[in-house]
Amino acid sequence: MAAYIARRIVLITLVLVAVSILVFAITTLLPANVAYLILGPFAPPEQVRALELKLGLNDPVWQQYLRWAGAFLSGDLGESTLMNRPIAPLLMEALGRSLVLTCVSFVLIAVIGIGLGVIAALRHGRPPDHTVSIATYLGIAVPEFFWAIVVIVIFAAWLGWLPASGYEPLSAGFAVWAKHLIAPTLTLVFGHLAHVSRLTRSSMIEVLQSPYVTAARAKGLPERVVVLHHALRNALLPSITVLALDFGRLMGGIVVVETIFAYPGLGRLVVFSIQNRDIPTLQAAILVVAAIYAFANLVADLLYAFLNPKIRFGRHAA
Amino acid sequence: MPPEGSVFAPRKPLSPQLKAGLAITGAIILLGLLAPWIAPHPWDTISMRTRFLPPNATYWLGTDEYGRDVLSRLLMGTRLSLAMGVGATAFSLAIGVPIGLAAGYFRGWIDEALMRAADVLMALPPIMLGLLVLAVTPPALWKTALAVGFVYVPQIARLARSVTLSLANEDFIQAAKARAESTSYILFREILPNAWPPLIVEASLRVTYAILLGSALSFLGLGAQPPSSDWGLMISEARSFLDRAPWIAFAPGLAMCLLVIGINLLGDGARERLDPRLKARVKA
Amino acid sequence: MRKFLTLLALTCALAFVQALPSAAQGTLRVALGTTLSQLDPAKTTIGDEYVYVHLVFNGLSRIDPDMTVKPDLAESWSASDDLKTWTFKLRPGVKFHHGRALDADDVVATMKRILDPATGSRARTSLSMVDNVTAIDAQTVKFDLNIAYAGFADIFADRQLRIVPKDKLAELSTQPIGTGPFMFKSWSPGDRLELIKNPDYFEKGAPKLDGVTLRIVPESAARMAALESASVDLVWSMPYESVEKFKNHPNVRIDSVSTPTWDGVILNNERPPFNDVRVRQALALTIDKAAIVELALFGQGAPTFSPIPPSHPYFNKSLKFSPPDIAKARKLLAEAGYPNGFDVPMQVPQEREQRVRVGVTVRDMARAAGIRISIERVPFASYTANVAGKAQMYVDGYFARPTIDTAIHPFYYSQGSWNKQLWLYKDTRVDQLLDEARKTNDEAARKAIFEKFQAIVDETAPGIVAYSAAHVNGVSKKVEGFRSTPMQWLELKSVSLKP
Repeated sequence: MAAYIARRIVLITLVLVAVSILVFAITTLLPANVAYLILGPFAPPEQVRALELKLGLNDPVWQQYLRWAGAFLSGDLGESTLMNRPIAPLLMEALGRSLVLTCVSFVLIAVIGIGLGVIAALRHGRPPDHTVSIATYLGIAVPEFFWAIVVIVIFAAWLGWLPASGYEPLSAGFAVWAKHLIAPTLTLVFGHLAHVSRLTRSSMIEVLQSPYVTAARAKGLPERVVVLHHALRNALLPSITVLALDFGRLMGGIVVVETIFAYPGLGRLVVFSIQNRDIPTLQAAILVVAAIYAFANLVADLLYAFLNPKIRFGRHAA
Repeated sequence: MPPEGSVFAPRKPLSPQLKAGLAITGAIILLGLLAPWIAPHPWDTISMRTRFLPPNATYWLGTDEYGRDVLSRLLMGTRLSLAMGVGATAFSLAIGVPIGLAAGYFRGWIDEALMRAADVLMALPPIMLGLLVLAVTPPALWKTALAVGFVYVPQIARLARSVTLSLANEDFIQAAKARAESTSYILFREILPNAWPPLIVEASLRVTYAILLGSALSFLGLGAQPPSSDWGLMISEARSFLDRAPWIAFAPGLAMCLLVIGINLLGDGARERLDPRLKARVKA
Repeated sequence: MRKFLTLLALTCALAFVQALPSAAQGTLRVALGTTLSQLDPAKTTIGDEYVYVHLVFNGLSRIDPDMTVKPDLAESWSASDDLKTWTFKLRPGVKFHHGRALDADDVVATMKRILDPATGSRARTSLSMVDNVTAIDAQTVKFDLNIAYAGFADIFADRQLRIVPKDKLAELSTQPIGTGPFMFKSWSPGDRLELIKNPDYFEKGAPKLDGVTLRIVPESAARMAALESASVDLVWSMPYESVEKFKNHPNVRIDSVSTPTWDGVILNNERPPFNDVRVRQALALTIDKAAIVELALFGQGAPTFSPIPPSHPYFNKSLKFSPPDIAKARKLLAEAGYPNGFDVPMQVPQEREQRVRVGVTVRDMARAAGIRISIERVPFASYTANVAGKAQMYVDGYFARPTIDTAIHPFYYSQGSWNKQLWLYKDTRVDQLLDEARKTNDEAARKAIFEKFQAIVDETAPGIVAYSAAHVNGVSKKVEGFRSTPMQWLELKSVSLKP
């Protein structure tokens, strides 16, 4: 197992290097001369050339890349061309905020998703089951930006319960901070419940019909104990692997949700830097995203391997 | 000999799921195909006097900020969404299936190289990769479809590879090898026909991902351009008017919901029919 | 399970508790739609940045909401008889936010910096007539111009020309220091800019507010929701489509003012097909400007011929807005060699909804004559590099300038700095008229000149200037003393909040 993990980590590192090269290559194609962006539309051509020289924009691409990579590895993430400030603190703050949003959403998806799956399984075939199915299906069938708008209209504009956007730091008070987190979290959670709840439901149904559970019931154990302690524990295995994948999916979801709610996280930073051609920020941000995404997927794979007896104990087991 | 549980196995009744999926998806496809003929009003003509009308007898789904009929725009947009979903997925298949076949059949360094390349593309959340690729060129819907297809190539390749791996050891392949059939024969006449069913089922689900991702990119400005009635663009433009004319946003939202649910039901139903024991892990 | 549910319920309850006020009483919270990329006044380029600049910095002169030019940091100025030498006397007792008194060297440093191409300031071309700027003594600055320029003092009210301290130039992007009514406190990019009251502001009794917080809220639905729920007190430059909603609102009022700000379709006069004046005229004949005002601005603007708005005394009232004449348009196109019309792409700025609507409307109108336009939305950031002055056809707009000359000359004069980034228009009659206008301060003469100018540009159509737009702010009724200004920044010196 340890060898497998080590191998995967090496692989991830190589992949990250490849991603950085890919991003660099793509950004050299971005149609906007950075020097003009900095100097403005009336810059005389000599000035533009001088700045290009200073920024090293005339060097061959591979040279620019190596220079950037060297700086990056020594901790210098460069300076945002647009905002004239070092990227590293900017990125770390944005990352922190995105992680908060993602983790809170993740926990809620797990809890609510599994809970709904259990309810649907217990009331299998009856109205609560159908309601849960339809509601969660709606969640994933409609794009996140739509739900985000619905949340803003209903909760912020009509009811006035929630603030429409933005972000208040923890220093402004826990209640304030939490309140601003609700709308984007709600949107993300609703958009991802279905995967977990459906899988929990179907695996719970299977387990509830298994001899193991029948035996537990026959022993006269109270239903609640049977369900929670015996059935759920076994039904959870597939759900956990899907959950681990959801973390990666959430990272995609934050791009749209952070943009709409003006939540200053990593997703919004990526969109902003693409739209404004802030290449250094874009590269740093994408690399961080790729790293997190890769590790989230690694964890998902490990969990899947660990929990799936077929793989854990060899192809011929189970 | 095709494996057991083929989609085309006769005399097995269609599940309610499959029936519902076929009905919904079929209806939407039909509406989309017939759109230019059945749309009651022009979809892109500005009309000053009919702005912001709520749904009524003449304009079943109301009108938008330019006085255009929402229903007609929705119908024309159906073609765009279907084209996006199918086009992107077709592109994914066209590139991903050969890659997967090659990786799964030849193994060795070809397999390693192709799968590592796939890893690099999968290193970013799909929407970010799409954003990056589309940022380098002036926006257009067909480019978005290609970008979305490109983003999903690795997943298709992986699936094709795993299906090929499992098929490569089957007796009928060994028999073909023993008969000294050419590699391309084995790949395209023996493996591919048997690999299609799971691939098609997966592809049908990919269509929904493609539609959702494509509309997210349109929403962010990187897909269809005004005055196109692409559903993502419609929702994006409608959000300034949510309080006075919510129907402009809700119509495409609901339409997208129906289409995705329909295709999901279709795909799930087909998959269950194909092999009830198949619990393939689906990566978005 | 039960314990968990209780905890969940508690957390939800906590979250629904009314938020503690996130700002001290007396701090005005303003919502802006676009994030600021620049804190250095010389380098600012967008309206949202100008809001911040006007609060933190002063110029030698200022423009009041009634569009009259008044002294600001310069308490008086005088010009030589040939209008080529200008002397400004600085107001004594003005202090920068870091405590040092303003002196002539600061003005000289500011101007030299703007004139330096390496700074990259848009205002450099505004000072193109300046040969030299020197400090005569600690309170006096002299400008030597290379042409006679009657309205020289007026241009200093503009945003990028605000005075900055000579010893803090390097920190302008991170810890800006100015002389304005509010001081910079902190900036969280993409989130909010915090300003606090300048207790030593040179105007006694101002400002009344304790501070101003500029919050960046790009999503317009969110901005409206914030205003309704009183999370912000003022929404700057409210989207036109949302105005109706607040017309009879209990807590919010709409404050609107007409401005010279204009939007239009820019046509490249040097590239086919629009290098032929007949083609430009044909396009103009398909346009119904009143309809554009209705569709793009929801009625909050007025059609115009040039950056001179209908409310201005120089507006040419005898010119008419003719209704579309498709037959004539087709005839002109046929004469120009396009009997079947032609296809052309048109760029529109992604982040400016009203300009996208102008684009969609123009596309529909031009179709009738056979001009088939395909729209491309482009992020504003690539406009400068790829679109402005290069594309065949695109939609753009410009804010109000302090004076008619600065609003017209750079755009229409054949060597004008903005002209080269815009439509590349050349008309010797216009050049002559604009030269004449610079030489006189006689109102009647200038009016006649500019009326002729409007007639010529209406006829030769360098582009389609669609309208002068209104500037609308959504203001909470708790805010007292606020009036919108046609310059579209926020005048907050005498604004206060009801408790």
